[in-house]
Formats: sequence, C-alpha cells, structure tokens
Amino acid sequence: MEVDEPAPTSQQNGNPPSTSSAPPSIVICGGEENVMAPSSTVGSITVSLHPLVIMNISEHWTRTRAQNDGKQEQVIGAIIGQHKGRHLEIMNSFELVFQIVDDLIVIDRDYYRTKEEQFKQVFSEMDFLGWYTTGDIPTPSDIHVHKQITEIYESPVLLKLNPLVKNADLPIGVYESIIDIVNSETTMLFVQLPYVLATEEAERIGVDHVARMSAADNSETSLVAEHLLSQHSAIKMLHSRVKLILEYVKAAQRGDAPISHEALRHAYSLCHRLPALQPERFKNDFYQQCCDLTRNASAMRNYLTKHVKNDNLKQRHRKYHHDPQHRRLKILEMESNRKRYFLVMKFF
Amino acid sequence: MASGGNGTGTAGGDSQATIAQRTWELSNNIETISAVDEIYHYDRQQQQDILTTKPWERDPHFFKDIKISALALLKMVMHSRSGGTLEVMGLLLGKVDGNSMIVMDSFALPVEGTETRVNAQAQAYEYMTAYIEAAKQVGRMENAIGWYHSHPGYGCWLSGIDVSTQLLNQSYQEPFVAIVVDPTRTISAGKVCLGAFRTYPKGYKPPSEEVSEYQTIPLNKIEDFGVHCKQYYSLDVTYFKSSLDRRLLDSLWNKYWVNTLSSTSLLTNAEYTTGQIFDLSEKLEQSENSLGRSGIIIGSDPHEKKGEDKLAKATKDSCKTTIEVIHGLMTQIIKSRLFNDVSCQNNRSPASEAIDVVMENPS
Repeated sequence: MEVDEPAPTSQQNGNPPSTSSAPPSIVICGGEENVMAPSSTVGSITVSLHPLVIMNISEHWTRTRAQNDGKQEQVIGAIIGQHKGRHLEIMNSFELVFQIVDDLIVIDRDYYRTKEEQFKQVFSEMDFLGWYTTGDIPTPSDIHVHKQITEIYESPVLLKLNPLVKNADLPIGVYESIIDIVNSETTMLFVQLPYVLATEEAERIGVDHVARMSAADNSETSLVAEHLLSQHSAIKMLHSRVKLILEYVKAAQRGDAPISHEALRHAYSLCHRLPALQPERFKNDFYQQCCDLTRNASAMRNYLTKHVKNDNLKQRHRKYHHDPQHRRLKILEMESNRKRYFLVMKFF
Repeated sequence: MASGGNGTGTAGGDSQATIAQRTWELSNNIETISAVDEIYHYDRQQQQDILTTKPWERDPHFFKDIKISALALLKMVMHSRSGGTLEVMGLLLGKVDGNSMIVMDSFALPVEGTETRVNAQAQAYEYMTAYIEAAKQVGRMENAIGWYHSHPGYGCWLSGIDVSTQLLNQSYQEPFVAIVVDPTRTISAGKVCLGAFRTYPKGYKPPSEEVSEYQTIPLNKIEDFGVHCKQYYSLDVTYFKSSLDRRLLDSLWNKYWVNTLSSTSLLTNAEYTTGQIFDLSEKLEQSENSLGRSGIIIGSDPHEKKGEDKLAKATKDSCKTTIEVIHGLMTQIIKSRLFNDVSCQNNRSPASEAIDVVMENPS
C-alpha cells in the first residue's frame, strides 16, 4: 500500500516541504562542486521503496564498520526491483565490490555480472534499477560512479542513506541524473526524486515485530493486547499529525504563521473527504458483516467450550449424531438469536 | 508500550514515552547490541576453534537458543511471501556462540518442490557455493549455518521429509539448524510465525517430555506432524538489530503508521480463514464420529478420551480463527469510527471552519 506524505510535515534532508517537485536550490557541500540541479527541475519518475532495502543497506554499513574495527567506510551496492512505465518499485539490493584507483572509485564489473546471474535465477521478475551508497548529499565522486553505472543500465537511480544523521526523519534520498548545460559544457547533475514507502503485509508485520522486539515471552502478552497496542500507536500518530495541522491552521488564522495556500488547500480537501464512505448501502452492509462475523465466531466458540465441559457429552452427541448437517446450523441459530441483540448494542 | 515515541506533539510526552520504552525493553531482556555492534564482527579464529572442538557432538541438546538478525527475518518473510502457496527455501549464514546459534543473513535458493523430496538443496549446490564465495568478497564472512523453508498456511513444524533432510544435514554439515516460516499465518495472526528446530540423532530418547505450545495443524497434515514431532526440538528464538537499524526503524515508523492503520486483514486473509473453517468442520465431523462410536461400546474409555481430546483441540483451533477474525473486525470498526463517523456537512468541525476563515481573508 502506498501513501503520500502529508504536505506540511514532509522533510527530506532538511529541505523545505514539497510534494511533487525536487526541492533544493543550489546546494554547496563543503566547498566541493555542486552537483544538484536547480530547484525548478522536476523528476520524471516516481519511486516506491521497500523497508527491506533500507535494512539491507544498514546491515551492509554496520558489518563493514564492524569488520574494520569501527572505522566508518562508504559502502556501495546495487538496487533491484520492478519498473512499470514511470514508476519504480525498489524491492531488494545487493552489495558491489569496488576498488579505489587514483582517489576514484572503480566498480568491479565482473563481480556485478556474477551477482546479476544469481539474482536473475531467484528473482526473475526483478531488474537492475540503480545503485546505493552511504553519505549525505550527492558529491562529484557520486557523479563519477553514476557514469560507470550508466554503462550497465541507461537510466539508473541513486539511493543515498546517511547513517550518521540523528533526527527523526528517514535519512534517505533518491536521485536521478540529467544532462544539463553548465558553463557552456554538458555536465551530469542530480535531481532529487520524491519517494513513498511501499509495503507488503508480511513485510509490515516483520518490520513492526523487529521494531518493537516483542520476541521475549510471547505467551504472556495477550494477542488482543498486542493487536490493540499496534492500532493504538498508529492512531496516536494520526492524532499528532491532525493536531499539527490544526495548530498550523489556527496559527495562520491568528496571523502567527505564514499562509501557504497549498497547505491550506490540502487540509481543506482532507476535511471534505470525510466521512470516507457515506451511502446508506455501505452502512447496512457493514452492520451485516459485523453481525455475521461476531455471531458466528462467538457461537462457534461458545458452543464448543460449553459442550466440551458438559457431562452429558455422550448423550448430546448421540442425540445430534443422526443429523450432522442441520445440527450445527441449529445451534448457531440458537446462539445467534441470543447474541445478535447484545452485539448490535455493543458495537453501535 | 510506546513504539510511537517519535513525532508526538509535546516534548514532555516524547521523553516519557522513550523512558517507558527503555524500561520495558530492560525488563524484557531485549537484546540491544552496544554501539560498536559487536555481533557483526566475525572472529574467524574463534569460529574455527569452535568448529574443531565440535561440542555439539556429545550433546544432542547442545544448542538451546538462536538469535536471528532483523535483516535475516525480513528477508525470510519476504521470500516466503513471494512464493505464495508454494513452498520456498533458502540458506542461512551465521555463526555459533556458546550454546546459541546466530543467524546473520539469509538468501534464497532457486529450488522448487522442497516438500516432495529429501535434500532438495542438492540441486542448488553450485548456486550456494558461488553465492557464499561472492558474499565473502563484500565482508560477509560467515558460513552456512542452516536452511529455511516455508509452510504457507499450515504452521511451523518439521514434516517427515524435512526431518530426513535435517538428519542428513546434521550428519554432514554441522552445525546446522532448520527454520520454518509460515507467511500466511504471519499475516492472519498479525505476528511473525517462525520456528527453529534441531533433530535428535536416530534412536535418541529425549530425557524429559517437553511441553510445546499447541499449534493448529490442518487435518491433512496432522498425521505427518504427529509421527515425527518427537524427533526434533525447537530452539528459543530472539531477534537482534544494530544501533543503526534501531534508528532507521524508529524513523520508519514516522511514515509506516499509515500502513498499520490502513491494513485490512479481513480482506487479505479471506481465503485462508475460509480454509480454516472448512478444516475445522472436518475435524468436528471426525471427533463426532469417534464419540459416536464410543456410544456403542459401553465403558470404552480410550475412545472416549480420544474423542474428547479431539474436541478440545477443535475448540482451540476455533478460538484461534475466532480471534483472528475478531481482530480484523476491530480494525474495520476503528477505521469506521475514525473516518466515517465524522461528518463535515452537518456539524462543521473547528478545523474546517478555521480554514474557511483563512481562505476568505488571504492576507
């Protein structure tokens, strides 16, 4: 499932909020030459990123550091996934070997070819999409590597993860390259692309599990509590976001904050999208589904628990033995008539 | 327990939430590796020493627990899920530390039909060796420490074929562990369904009757499960992550909460739930038949006991399905409350009113 970042709160590497255009104006990185395209350039593709890739890169960096006795080193690797028209889905990644020749990074092509053969066998529907590295904003050295990658695949993307950043935002940037005329010569520049987090249900559960690390003593926490806790955390986030928007709007009303028409338009359309589903038919179907499920579920459970503990077990079974099909239905109906009243009251 | 300790409005609430999280983690012995992330360092000499002494040969119950890295878990889950209803398999890379096995990474193998033949891995030897060789060049120094495969929808346990494969592995590739993942149950239950097992050598009788957690097994697999379940034992599973992982996961939550709220497990699991109910009805028929029989033979206690046992198990199975369905329903009701029971037309919310005012006076 994919979701757009809410306008007032999206921040990527400290750039001003934006939803669809590449944000930064000229960025100077520590005296080095600037390699970012001017802010008016808009990216041509949309990107969705799976959390697995983020974990892969993180592990690559951590293990390289651990093997080198704590020294931090830049790591480089390839990203693979699927592309459909102008949309890229980055699903997985693997490491690449490189050598430093005359202060410049040279990618080992043979190693890449070996890995390409391997991943084609297991992930046949994925293609090579680009490369990743660690660091802050793109540098001329990245342009140099990017040019080499372009020889493998014509329009690669670059994914940069900054392992040293401490704030709460995801320190990831995705870039594509364009050729532009700078000082009357053709140079390659980077354009930042917006990305969303793609996900798959099993991945989400895995990430959730690892993030909250509830591996110890699973049997002691109730399943209901765990499920409700995760819902509660999500709702808390929703609440904080909504509060943020409300605060901004109130401040704009008072005159304390600058009015951004785009942000206000988004908030307005958000309010008018609620309630999400209104037609009468939905309400009826929804009630019906709730009743059906709760009735059948409770009936099933109660019938079985009650009758297992019953002393007249043998008798009851002899009685109903001759009527297997209708027996279960009858019991369910009995229970349902009793339960339906309570359930409807409880939930609505 | 506050996993949403970031992105909250007030600073006071933020630090309280993080304190609560830390206290909870401490009290639950969560493995937080130190800043140097020691576990990621591969000590070749230490590993070679362990391989020469082979302490597991003398004690079939030598390995007691297993630590799996966050990355390995995600990769296994993703790979299993991508197989759909087909079983997939892969290899685990890691090392040994005392009585624990440590799984650092995993990778998929291009093998099919893993539940139909013993040692399906043999087909992929070339791939395995090439992969491990290539991995060493990028700092992945660990060797193969086990294999994993998926049981989509029927639980985490070793089938007869799996036991034979694992016995073979434990004769020639020690130390080796077998991990089983169930991606379907992971999704339906909302929590990771994974088990790590080691087989006992042939003829070995485990000293004590281990009480293992009850699992729902579909009817067509119950016999396979029952025949072999005493031939192996499961290891305690814990997961670990690096300090960078932790920071990234916390940041990830800032965007991920939307997916948690918008997940619809009723829809995703509809097919699986239906399958479970069919299975349950068949089990009820079976237990009914065995109880019916006991009515004819008066005072035949073993049959009665078996029938009641079956019924008790069917009860547990139905409880599990019920709980999962109710959880799905809870999500739907929460969403309905949040997004449907708010009306913008009838009672104007303060936010939309404020926006109206501001839009009218752009100053």
